[in-house]
Amino acid sequence: MIVLRLFSRTKLYWGLAIICLIGALASPHTSSGRNIFLSFSNLTDVLRQVSITGLVATGMTLVILLGGIDLSVGSVMGFSTIICAMLLTQPGWTPASIMAVPAAAAVAGLGVGFLARFVFHGLARGRDVDAGRRNEIVLGPWRGVRVPAVLGLACGALAAVGTASQVSTKFGVLAVLLVTPCVALALGAINGALIVAGRLQPFIATLAMMVSALGLGRLTAGQDNAVIAVYTGTNATQAFEMLRSMVWGILPMPSVFFLAAILIFGAVLRFTTFGRYIYAIGGNPEAAKLSGIKVAQVQLAAYMISGLLAGLAGVLFVAQYRQGKPDAGSGLELDAIAAVVIGGTSLMGGRGGLAGTFVGVLIFGLLSDILQLQNIDSNVQLLMKGLIIVGTVLVQEQNLGQLLTRWRGQAPPPAPALTGSVEANRPPSATMKSTAREDIHEAS
Amino acid sequence: MDAGWNVMGTTRGGPSHHTATVPSGPSGRLAVDPAGPAPSNHAVVLNAEGVSKSFAGVTALRDVDFDLMSGEVHALMGENGAGKSTLMKILAGVHVDYDGVIRIEGASVRFSGVQDAERAGVAIIHQELNLVPELTAAENIFLGREPLILGTVVDHRRIVKAASALLRRLGIEIDAQRRVAELRIGEQQLVEIAKALSLDARILIMDEPTSALSTSECDTLFKVVRQLARAGVAIIYTSHRLDEVVALANRVTVLRDGRRVLTAPIDGLSSSAIISAMVGRDVAMSRRKSGSSAGAPVLSVRNLTLDTVSSRGWRRLLKGVSFDVGRGEILGVGGLLGSGRTEILESIFGVARGWRGGDIAIDGEPASINSAADACRLGVALVTEDRKALGLHIASTIRDNVALPSVGAASRFGIRGFARESALATDVVERLAVRCSGIDQIVATLSGGNQQKVAIGKWLATAPRVLLLDEPTRGIDVGAKQEIYQLIFGLAADGLAIVVVTSEMPELLLLSDRVLVMCEGRQTGVLSGAEATQEAIMRLAAPGMSGRGPGVAP
Repeated sequence: MIVLRLFSRTKLYWGLAIICLIGALASPHTSSGRNIFLSFSNLTDVLRQVSITGLVATGMTLVILLGGIDLSVGSVMGFSTIICAMLLTQPGWTPASIMAVPAAAAVAGLGVGFLARFVFHGLARGRDVDAGRRNEIVLGPWRGVRVPAVLGLACGALAAVGTASQVSTKFGVLAVLLVTPCVALALGAINGALIVAGRLQPFIATLAMMVSALGLGRLTAGQDNAVIAVYTGTNATQAFEMLRSMVWGILPMPSVFFLAAILIFGAVLRFTTFGRYIYAIGGNPEAAKLSGIKVAQVQLAAYMISGLLAGLAGVLFVAQYRQGKPDAGSGLELDAIAAVVIGGTSLMGGRGGLAGTFVGVLIFGLLSDILQLQNIDSNVQLLMKGLIIVGTVLVQEQNLGQLLTRWRGQAPPPAPALTGSVEANRPPSATMKSTAREDIHEAS
Repeated sequence: MDAGWNVMGTTRGGPSHHTATVPSGPSGRLAVDPAGPAPSNHAVVLNAEGVSKSFAGVTALRDVDFDLMSGEVHALMGENGAGKSTLMKILAGVHVDYDGVIRIEGASVRFSGVQDAERAGVAIIHQELNLVPELTAAENIFLGREPLILGTVVDHRRIVKAASALLRRLGIEIDAQRRVAELRIGEQQLVEIAKALSLDARILIMDEPTSALSTSECDTLFKVVRQLARAGVAIIYTSHRLDEVVALANRVTVLRDGRRVLTAPIDGLSSSAIISAMVGRDVAMSRRKSGSSAGAPVLSVRNLTLDTVSSRGWRRLLKGVSFDVGRGEILGVGGLLGSGRTEILESIFGVARGWRGGDIAIDGEPASINSAADACRLGVALVTEDRKALGLHIASTIRDNVALPSVGAASRFGIRGFARESALATDVVERLAVRCSGIDQIVATLSGGNQQKVAIGKWLATAPRVLLLDEPTRGIDVGAKQEIYQLIFGLAADGLAIVVVTSEMPELLLLSDRVLVMCEGRQTGVLSGAEATQEAIMRLAAPGMSGRGPGVAP
């Protein structure tokens, strides 16, 4: 019984293990008899391939845990590639820099202002927190408003000047890496504001943003279906090549961002109040609200993070494929949702986590790698992906035993006592449909 | 289906053919004709013997006998939870699993569902109306049995004609082609009645039909009800409003704790006789020694109002409520369902839907509470009525639930203090004696009483000054109730100011130092000590009786 339960809890990792096993067994060998699938370069290549989807899926996990959904990430990512590519290749006040400078200034200013307030708040609470005592901390006008405001304004101005100084020439690596996500974050903030203040359903609000961001990207690029090529060393800074290099010869740069995002936001979910609130709101939004949680703030923040990570993914896309294009991320949102869902995060919200998303992303990455090594048609890959989604979700949502008994046409046994596990009363979440589209990694 | 058409006097088909197990009455006996003579014989049309029903071990009805004669309005009275709804739902075929015998016109029947009951001529009009707002009145009346042209296309002209004729004969002035969403709530009620009669209903069950109606709408409804009774329809009618029952009913049956305690013609009964039949039971537990309410009030509420706008139009749910609660005092709020009790708590907690007016002060300081977060900050806690939907995250652990309102307080720089959270949860579990295997047990696996302890405990962990309890013992067995009572007394002794809303009279009397009685959003009195008796509270709580009680609020 214990073995079964352990198996049931870790079945996600078993899936990953099975995929690896199949990959290793089916893999072709080099002339010297080495297994190509298990070779270091192949595995790091898989990590590189999944990084962009993975970053987006990380933000998507937060949003889905919250009980929402963000359909706009693909378009926002595509839009970010345009911003990034234009900043890299076109000097002067292009539409991209006109958007990027204020966005960077606003994000820096507001971010630093709130950070200052947050730090003062933490300091005021004192070293020894009396557990459970409702301690009302009211910061005075100086620490509460004036100092954060001044700091924020200063940093905002600094960011404005700093980015504006780059406008006349082309932007450098660090500049695009910081500025592009700021623009995407602003789009995420619009999503959040529509959902929180406009009371729109997340599906609707982000659907609107998905459409709008694509249009905005095309308008920004100037021509329909524009592809802005980025040739490092000729029309853009050579240093940009760094974002597709290997770090210390071990990890590809994009995967460093992906792994860092997984670790950081995994820690955020696990160790911070913000993370706790995300789970609480996803689990029961009304109860969370009645518990005094500021639901609107948490929602807004989650959509902003989702936008931010989509923007970062956009920069990595430009580095990886040496181009920016408005539809770079078409279908990406569905890949991300699929990865989140097969990672065991419930679309109802409140249950799941980033470890599952990481595995989910890897499963897709390994699958396409295996099929590529076998030279199997990419359309078969899509078919396989769909099957995997249905299969994993079927297995996750119900106990295998229940599934088997139902197939045998017997009445399911009485629900097992809920000791330490909520498997039994999981709501069946919607099964994702696979979508036929060109895989992003083959797009260029 | 044919039966419906006969009622309306259209030309389709011959005599009706009921498929139910009951012999049907002569076709068209329900030709609703206001000028027609009253039926001379009051024959028994429905007769229930020894009906019992229990839900998951809780007995809702015990051996109830009930009979209904044609052409009478039979009022069914009782406190909340006395078993009125259960009885009505059994008679209407909603509950199909019961003990006892039901006879309709002498023939024993056992309905397999609502449709079956309708075929036998029994129709129920629920408190929540079952109309499709986007369809017209006529379409609603014939929903699911539309006449068809050549068996394919809905015959709209005929629907409208038939519905208009039916409404006209009932003396209802409603355009059958108007969308139900545009109708006022009283008009919707009348459409429901028309729908029931189009089904050839000879027995009409009305569950609190006037609860949402204005006075003039009530008058129209009463007119229609009387007219139906004259035409021979037997009507079972429930209402909390005594005056209404006295004015409308021929006989009254009172249920209490699932048993029938009285069936009598209304003529020989006084209102107070009905009230004492409804509440007449002894309070088992002794009241505690009254808390010391000396000193400045902790919570003070002045002229609290709440307005909402819904599809029904503008409504004032709270009409100027004022009270003080002192340290260690328990204020009970009594009143019928929908009298505004819960709205008081929600308004104080800052989560009521609508516009709030009036002043709230905590410890003498004016408090502006516009969200639950504000309330928490000021030390106000609300334990909600529906703990599964609103109070707890049922699929999560005791630790997570208890710590949720305190996560912020236990953290520093946004990093959770896990040790502090666990300490809080352990503390609550020990203090409230929650029976569990540990703080990591899933809340869904706890018993109702222990779940309620967790729901209260999560607020105690925030060290509140004011505790608002909405139906603290709903769905909890008797033994656990006593524990919750002791818990509440203990909290009062610790100095909390407590406001309790409860539908159960004994609980209200037991817990409260003072009782605030609400009636239709108005504060009809504050009773303290010996003044607070069941009869006194009932008199203040029942609409139509108010205004005579002591201490009427401004």
